[in-house]
Amino acid sequence: MASDRVFGLVVIIAALAYIAGAAQTQTSFMSDPVGSKTFPILVGSVAAVCGAVMFLRPDAGPEWPRPRALLSVAAAVAVMVAYAHGLKPLGFLIPTAVAAAILSYQITPRPAFNALAGAALSAALFVVFRYGLGLGLAPLPKGWM
Amino acid sequence: MDLLSNLALGFSIALSPTTLMLAVAGCFLGTVIGSLPGLGPSNGVAILIPLTFSLGLDATSALVLMTAVYYGAMYGGRISSILLNIPGDEPALMTTLDGYPMAKRGRAGDALVISGVASFVGAFLATIGLMLLAPVLARVAYLFGPAEYFALYLLAFSTLGGLASNNQAKAALASCIGLGIAMVGIDNATGMPRLTFGNLHLVDGVDFLVAIVGLFAVAEVFFFIESHGRNSSIGVKLEKVTVPVRDILASGWTMLRSSLVGFAAGVLPGAGASLGSFLAYMSEKSIAGEKSGFGTGAPKGVAAPEAGNNAAAGGALVPMLTLGVPGSGTTAVLLALLMTLNITPGPTLFADRPEVVWGLIASLLIANFVLLAMNVPMVRVFVRVLSVPPAVLLPGVTMVSFVGIYSLSGSYFDLLLMVGFGALGYVLRKLDVPTVPIILGILLGTHMENALRRAMVLSDGDPTYLFSSPIAAGLWIFAVAGFVAPMFLRRALRKPRAADA
Amino acid sequence: MRSPERRDFALPTDFTADEIVVDNGGGTAQPSTPTARTRSPRHDTREKNMSTTLRALAFGAVLSIGAASSATAAECIAPANPGGGWDFTCRQIGKIMHDIGAVDKPIQVTNMAGGGGGLAFGHVVNERSDDEDLIVAASQATATRLAQNAYGGMTADQVRFVGAIGADPGVIVVAADSPYRSLNDLVAAVKSNPSSISFAGGSAAGGFDHLKVLQVLKANGFDDIRSVKYIGVDGGADAITQTVGGFTTAMTGDMSEIVGFLKSGDVRALAVLTEERVPGFEDIPTAVEQGTNVVAVNWRGLYVPKNISNRAFRSWAAKLQRVADSAEWKAAMEANGLAPFTKVGDDFQNWVDGVVASTTELSKEIGVIQ
Repeated sequence: MASDRVFGLVVIIAALAYIAGAAQTQTSFMSDPVGSKTFPILVGSVAAVCGAVMFLRPDAGPEWPRPRALLSVAAAVAVMVAYAHGLKPLGFLIPTAVAAAILSYQITPRPAFNALAGAALSAALFVVFRYGLGLGLAPLPKGWM
Repeated sequence: MDLLSNLALGFSIALSPTTLMLAVAGCFLGTVIGSLPGLGPSNGVAILIPLTFSLGLDATSALVLMTAVYYGAMYGGRISSILLNIPGDEPALMTTLDGYPMAKRGRAGDALVISGVASFVGAFLATIGLMLLAPVLARVAYLFGPAEYFALYLLAFSTLGGLASNNQAKAALASCIGLGIAMVGIDNATGMPRLTFGNLHLVDGVDFLVAIVGLFAVAEVFFFIESHGRNSSIGVKLEKVTVPVRDILASGWTMLRSSLVGFAAGVLPGAGASLGSFLAYMSEKSIAGEKSGFGTGAPKGVAAPEAGNNAAAGGALVPMLTLGVPGSGTTAVLLALLMTLNITPGPTLFADRPEVVWGLIASLLIANFVLLAMNVPMVRVFVRVLSVPPAVLLPGVTMVSFVGIYSLSGSYFDLLLMVGFGALGYVLRKLDVPTVPIILGILLGTHMENALRRAMVLSDGDPTYLFSSPIAAGLWIFAVAGFVAPMFLRRALRKPRAADA
Repeated sequence: MRSPERRDFALPTDFTADEIVVDNGGGTAQPSTPTARTRSPRHDTREKNMSTTLRALAFGAVLSIGAASSATAAECIAPANPGGGWDFTCRQIGKIMHDIGAVDKPIQVTNMAGGGGGLAFGHVVNERSDDEDLIVAASQATATRLAQNAYGGMTADQVRFVGAIGADPGVIVVAADSPYRSLNDLVAAVKSNPSSISFAGGSAAGGFDHLKVLQVLKANGFDDIRSVKYIGVDGGADAITQTVGGFTTAMTGDMSEIVGFLKSGDVRALAVLTEERVPGFEDIPTAVEQGTNVVAVNWRGLYVPKNISNRAFRSWAAKLQRVADSAEWKAAMEANGLAPFTKVGDDFQNWVDGVVASTTELSKEIGVIQ
């Protein structure tokens, strides 16, 4: 119950922000009867109504994982964000090996196997992308080449 | 009749060793591309178009190769849908709904065979349909003006809502999220940026590939991590592949009906294969009724979308060849190929360039048999890629997703967006908010808005124009009924149960 | 009008094509391929999303560069998605240049859609201004948009227009069963009740297809331009479909877009907007001979970066002339409803300058720009 109520409120707030954003769209010299704002505002309004329905008539709440599992998911998000930032400056091989090993550890914690999986994945994918598909991936950080 | 002589001409071209070889190579490449999560038919065809130039192929050969890849990718898309719960491409989305539950119950092989046969039936019938009906069916496009398109898109959302969730509000919300995302970026009609909230990265909008990979691949990784590999997708193993004759025979009518529905959806410009598979699944679900187990691993639930999307792929060739109006993203890329080869698609193509059209049709017929052989007896070849331990496969899926998205845009912002969609997908699925309508919304959003705007220009802003034609009115009625009916059905079904308790 | 959002609109033109390659990496990549250059750190904050189709195609283009793995290939940027006129220009000219031996390697076509060609224009101006192996497809639409300041302040003199080798005549067509038999019928109907007549075209409102109609009406003394109903749909074929289906009264577009439909008898051309009747389509009257003095053709040509050497400029002009003279191009023109229209080198540059100036004037007159 609580989950749907909270989510319904979040949806209403987001929808209102969206409508406000849509209302600020600049109109131009030659506009049709509908214009740039109408459809987004329509969509935002329907979303807000949906949020209200969720708030007023919530379903049974889902089974949320225990805090530890949730923390583990949050850690995976963090790893991915770091990977996204690291891919360009650090080249392909090292960030990929590290990120893959961590994700692998989160699924089946066997450190030696995970490290090996990360390294192997990184190398194998590099070969496939670089030589199989011809993508111009940089293997290592710029300074090292 | 000259259909036979045309076909004879076609086969005389298609059965030449080079053409045959190209068709086989195209089928193989297409299936591999289709089965890789995130890579779909339009990427596949786009990747290979430059190849046809370096190979120095003539018009017919190039077209044969590319359409074989196209058909192959439509077949291949189901493999990771069934085994990983990640659609190999966007039209294979619906196949996850029953294919994956089937695979979880140890019937992965059966699901692959049934879907392979269904793909064959869909694609085969669509090719026949293309051959017989192309000149006639092309006229359907003339019946669809802005008001009709608007109603059609509405129908797609409302029926999807009835299908995808137990709560209409949540399904409608998902559609709105998708439509809302589609609005972000420059408004083509005025050239003004909308809803970018000052973020320059959003000026060109959100790519639906980023959303798909995030909502499906990345969210799946999160689910997997949450459960530490217990009771999640990749535990699915492909034991032995036998042919479940009974299921296939039982799904016979499903496949035929779905092919018809899918083909019709494909013929409509802009609708494409996703709508085909979706409508096919929907109508079969309603025919089979609530007790049929749709959504929990019903063989018919695998057969319907696969027959539907493969038939739609064939159907989409009809408006492309006869009107020069592509019916889908992939056919838009194929259209580019035709233009390059100095073939002008249009109403006279069938008369002016019979060797191209009939060579293509004959090749498609042959390619279908090749694909059936590859995708049923030899399906293990394509599955092997996916049968590795989860602790390797999941990080692998993540990295492929990252590199795939990164190689398309070279933008770390897209990668962050993808992770964001992953987290969103995780939360939404927890809350029973379906994610499929989000994708449909992103795909159809601008089309739907444009249809509305054009309708209002033509009618001087009179809203009644939206349902003034019989076709539009009919579509509206179905749309409203499709959205409202499940609510009452559920209530009717819930009451007796409540009385029991 | 100088709000922050307005300026944002100009920014996508800073997009760089090399963003689509992860890195050059050295080794197998070809140093001279433009897409394989190392990018500068400044791009990090400026990355832009591309349209999905473009992404798919860019991906394909990148992969093909890797696959071809050979020496210098020139690149032709088509500033739109596949299937349109710019794409046709790049692919046909590129193919013929290779076929007749004007270039050694097949010309690599890159589709770079966005901002109505502004994305590609900005890319050339900002990132590739001295690249001698680069040609970019252009047309009247390029000139129209430059004239209407639709490329975020960039101007026509920031590139060099190297030549046009064909023109797609403007046409106004109606469905075969339409009651309007001549351009004058249609104009008279608009004059008596503007809201009863609607036009469909492949360009957005204010674009060339729209302007053609407005020019015709204005030439006939109809000044209430904003009351004219026009819907911009996704390309000429779509516009015809809407017109044949009876959803709009007439279609405004290019000759190439209607050839197939003319042959099949679905549509009737009321007027072609050229000075003389078009060879191969002699039964279509010009607007001029019906008393409407409007000429509007969509020329097909190329521009090159501003700072290339004069030698390279003349070399491209000569190659283009060879394409224009080839039998293959003549056949391609005929098959696609293009009328002969060859201007190359400095001659063409002067002509474009004239067109841009007159379009600016016209756009101001009809209120599209201030």
